[in-house]
Amino acid sequence: MDDSQARKFQKDLNAGLVALVLLAVLERTTEDLYGYEIAKRLQKANEGEALFKEGTVYPVLRALAAGGLLTSRVVPSYAGPARRYYRITADGRAMLRQWSDIWRQTRGFVDRFIEGTDS
Amino acid sequence: MSVNAPRSIDEYLKQLRQALEGQDPALIQDALYDAEEYLRAEVAAHPDKSESDVLELIASTYGAPDEVAAAYRDTEAKVKAALKTPAPRAAHTSGLARFFGVYQDPRAYTSLFYMLLTLATGVVYFTFVVTGLSLSAGFAVLIIGVPFFLAFIGIARVIALGEGRLLEAMTGERMPRRPVHPGPPASWWRRIADMLTDVRTWTTLLYLLIMLPLGIIYFTLAVTGLAVGLRLALAPFVVLSRDFGWLPPGVSLDMIQIDGWHAASPHTLLGSLFYMVFGVVIVTALMHAARGIARGHARLAKALLVVPGA
Repeated sequence: MDDSQARKFQKDLNAGLVALVLLAVLERTTEDLYGYEIAKRLQKANEGEALFKEGTVYPVLRALAAGGLLTSRVVPSYAGPARRYYRITADGRAMLRQWSDIWRQTRGFVDRFIEGTDS
Repeated sequence: MSVNAPRSIDEYLKQLRQALEGQDPALIQDALYDAEEYLRAEVAAHPDKSESDVLELIASTYGAPDEVAAAYRDTEAKVKAALKTPAPRAAHTSGLARFFGVYQDPRAYTSLFYMLLTLATGVVYFTFVVTGLSLSAGFAVLIIGVPFFLAFIGIARVIALGEGRLLEAMTGERMPRRPVHPGPPASWWRRIADMLTDVRTWTTLLYLLIMLPLGIIYFTLAVTGLAVGLRLALAPFVVLSRDFGWLPPGVSLDMIQIDGWHAASPHTLLGSLFYMVFGVVIVTALMHAARGIARGHARLAKALLVVPGA
């Protein structure tokens, strides 16, 4: 099996999952987080081979904010450019519940075939 | 692209810019901004390592420039498709339906609003630039000349960003969501020299200056079109209220008539209906014109505020 095909499969899977994970991360925290902190939390949770590159987190955050699922504010920083802090909105929470249900259904469905619990 | 992995933040940003070549300038500016936030935070989080050591690992954490570029391209394409307000479908494509279909387009209203607003913003921008430039020239011989000029250009950039956000909201043209990043830390003299040689500094100031004449033209067009169009469109009500004696005491018909049109004012209901048709056509044409003008203006803004820096 060619490595690049495995990567492509992972990338296709990530298309929707990164957004789901980001919403979940922001829902579980009480403070606002900025891109770098979020990326680091994901990295910590993700031992071994990274499932996705941290650079892909930023455009998805921006897309979620543009869709009204997150709000953001800019805070100046001494370490570099001003940081954009994100917080989940009520719409975002509703969307997260809906997406989580879809994810559970999908996972159960896929597992039935892969784990062979159906046979 | 992995042939020569970037060894410094500046190199990384340069490669990312190359990988995004041909994309929307506003998207490039956002992507560079995000990358810089991450890279600077990462370097600051590892004070024991040198910048090049940190950068060595960046391809496996943040992603190589071409991977990151691909992520922005994909996400932008998807978001654009998902968030785009569906254009009012021309189900019946008769010319008349298309002409009046403009009332269903939210952009037409926001564009008209923008035209009315430009007089105010134009005056503020123009005053700001003229004052800032003349004070900078005056202070140039003094010690405060340098920080004053830096602050002036800094504020001009913030204004440009705000103008971009306003234009994107009004016209849908993609504009930057982050300010221009100031580049690598450097001495004040270096930064002054960079600002003076950066074409975008001058095109930004030019834009802020021409906003005054443009604002006057846009505002005049919008107000004249609205006043004349609405007056004509409402002509039947004026005639009716006169005939039925609904006009409040002391208000004569002349007072609500436009100067010079007075002689030609309709005195019969039939005549005023003819006026109404004419007025509705004027207002509708104004909505079309507003949409077109705002779209053209957004392109001008992009050419002066965004593109020269990309």
